[in-house]
Amino acid sequence: MSAHPDLSRRAFFTALPAVTAGLAAPAMAAEASGPHWSMLVDTRRCIACQACTMACSMENASPEGQFRTVVATYAVTGEDGKTGLAVLPRLCNHCEQPPCIPVCPVGATFKREDGIVLVDGDRCVGCAYCVQACPYDARFINHDTGKADKCTFCSHRLEAGLLPACVETCVGGARIFGDINDPGSVISKQLKAAEGKVQVLKPDAKTSPRVFYIGLAEHLNGRVDGASAADMMWRPDQQGG
Amino acid sequence: MNTTIEVLGFAREPAWLPWAVTYFFLIGVSTTAFFLSLPGLVWRQPAWLGVSRRALLVALVCGLSGPVALLADLHQPGRFLNFYLHPNLGSWMAWGAFFIPIYMFGLFLYAWLCLRPQLAVLAKKGDKLSGIYRTLAYGGHANAGAIKAAALLGGIGAALILLYTGMEVMVVQARALWNSPVLPLLFFVTALNGGLGMTGLFEALSGNQAAAPLLNRWLVRCQWATLLLLAVWGLLAASGISSAGAEALAAMQGEFGWWVTGAWLMGSTLLTLWLASSRSHTLVLPSLFALQGTWLVRWIVLMVSQSLPKMGATTHRYFLTPTPDGLLGIVGMVGLCFTIYIVLTSLVPWDDRAEV
Repeated sequence: MSAHPDLSRRAFFTALPAVTAGLAAPAMAAEASGPHWSMLVDTRRCIACQACTMACSMENASPEGQFRTVVATYAVTGEDGKTGLAVLPRLCNHCEQPPCIPVCPVGATFKREDGIVLVDGDRCVGCAYCVQACPYDARFINHDTGKADKCTFCSHRLEAGLLPACVETCVGGARIFGDINDPGSVISKQLKAAEGKVQVLKPDAKTSPRVFYIGLAEHLNGRVDGASAADMMWRPDQQGG
Repeated sequence: MNTTIEVLGFAREPAWLPWAVTYFFLIGVSTTAFFLSLPGLVWRQPAWLGVSRRALLVALVCGLSGPVALLADLHQPGRFLNFYLHPNLGSWMAWGAFFIPIYMFGLFLYAWLCLRPQLAVLAKKGDKLSGIYRTLAYGGHANAGAIKAAALLGGIGAALILLYTGMEVMVVQARALWNSPVLPLLFFVTALNGGLGMTGLFEALSGNQAAAPLLNRWLVRCQWATLLLLAVWGLLAASGISSAGAEALAAMQGEFGWWVTGAWLMGSTLLTLWLASSRSHTLVLPSLFALQGTWLVRWIVLMVSQSLPKMGATTHRYFLTPTPDGLLGIVGMVGLCFTIYIVLTSLVPWDDRAEV
């Protein structure tokens, strides 16, 4: 499977007729509970190229300097003195218990039956309470709209039968997207195959994320005790120049 | 042991801007000043008669300007309508949208009932505003029962605002520094500190120094309460009883800036304590330091804490820029407070001559 990095993409398209057929036949649909979209990030395949970051920005027209998904990159030096690269692709975790939903004063943030957490832009007041409540720093106030913004799993693309832009563009096939309610989906099979090794970010937050990771260094799954190259850099937008 | 350097990190900019600090500051000062107005205007305690009158002025000035900062923070003020069209009653912020009008209505009703007799006196002077004063006085009766009822309504509104502003911040588990049961108490005590400070400042502006020992006595109590609450937070965090506190402490301890911030907070609290106790007959300096302490706690909790990363290692330091959502916004709010102060003190005398 690892020799075919685009297998998840192919499997998704293969599964689409079954999903649409299910929708068209109520008797069959009653048996299935409908899709529950999730993502599995295999960090061993990620090369930190930021193609996903760029694809997302282009697809969703994110304002300059604001990202729905990013790949944080670390230089980790072990006890043996050897330094290696570690990556952490980050996005909205589409949690089962999303802390962003109960705090929203106007009910603009909601979770669909298919598991995707979305923001109703017409209702959002831009108070940023959800931004504060998100343990993963996945949300931000969009500079252009003045409203809460975040990854939507590219729900508009899903409705058109396409994969999220970040999955589509990932050169290493590190992002595997699919329906975890379908035991035959690639993501379900990979999750099963990696049982016991699958991680989520900040498990102590008890948010039950629906973005899973394989190969993630445990000390990177939350706030990281370490130096940041960005903190050492000169930032013209903040420090002038 | 591993050493980690975040080569490419992404820090989110603060989502709550100085507007939030300004709102929390002004509404806290207003609500506590409202409570300071009760001993003199409702219970008629002689020592508080003048002070309570100035406290009511503080409550009005800060109460009228505070919600403006809140509206400004929504990026588009008309959005406030959605708070009433689509309330999510599981959110403390949603409840705040209902508590604010309750408090404001109670405050205005209470202020009007307290001022009615004086408005009637002003109507008799026969100047060009007499007609307006006469209309506003609406007979000019001093109705102690009505004042008590309005004070009860305003008091409930003020207590609910103090409750929601503390809880709204406390419930956010994602921010370790916020997620502490000590926080609502700290916000209340420091709001009272600010209410006393602003009342003291208004006392000084109106030329009254007589109440300085009374206000400074309360300021001393507030400083001790602040120090006690900070010590409780520190103990809960250091002992690990509060996991959120321990997490916040771990995130802060490596940063020199946090040590400076902590030292500033402790130092200015101790300095206010010393000024209020050793110079109990002066008003300006203890009052200014008290106001500084109130602002500082809100600035640290709401702005500085947003620099702590939730993920990764990259901090996002906030720099107060001369922009509308930064320094200009704060200066603008100070200007608004001054304007309301000038308007209110021009229309109605608030010094001891006002006692009719």
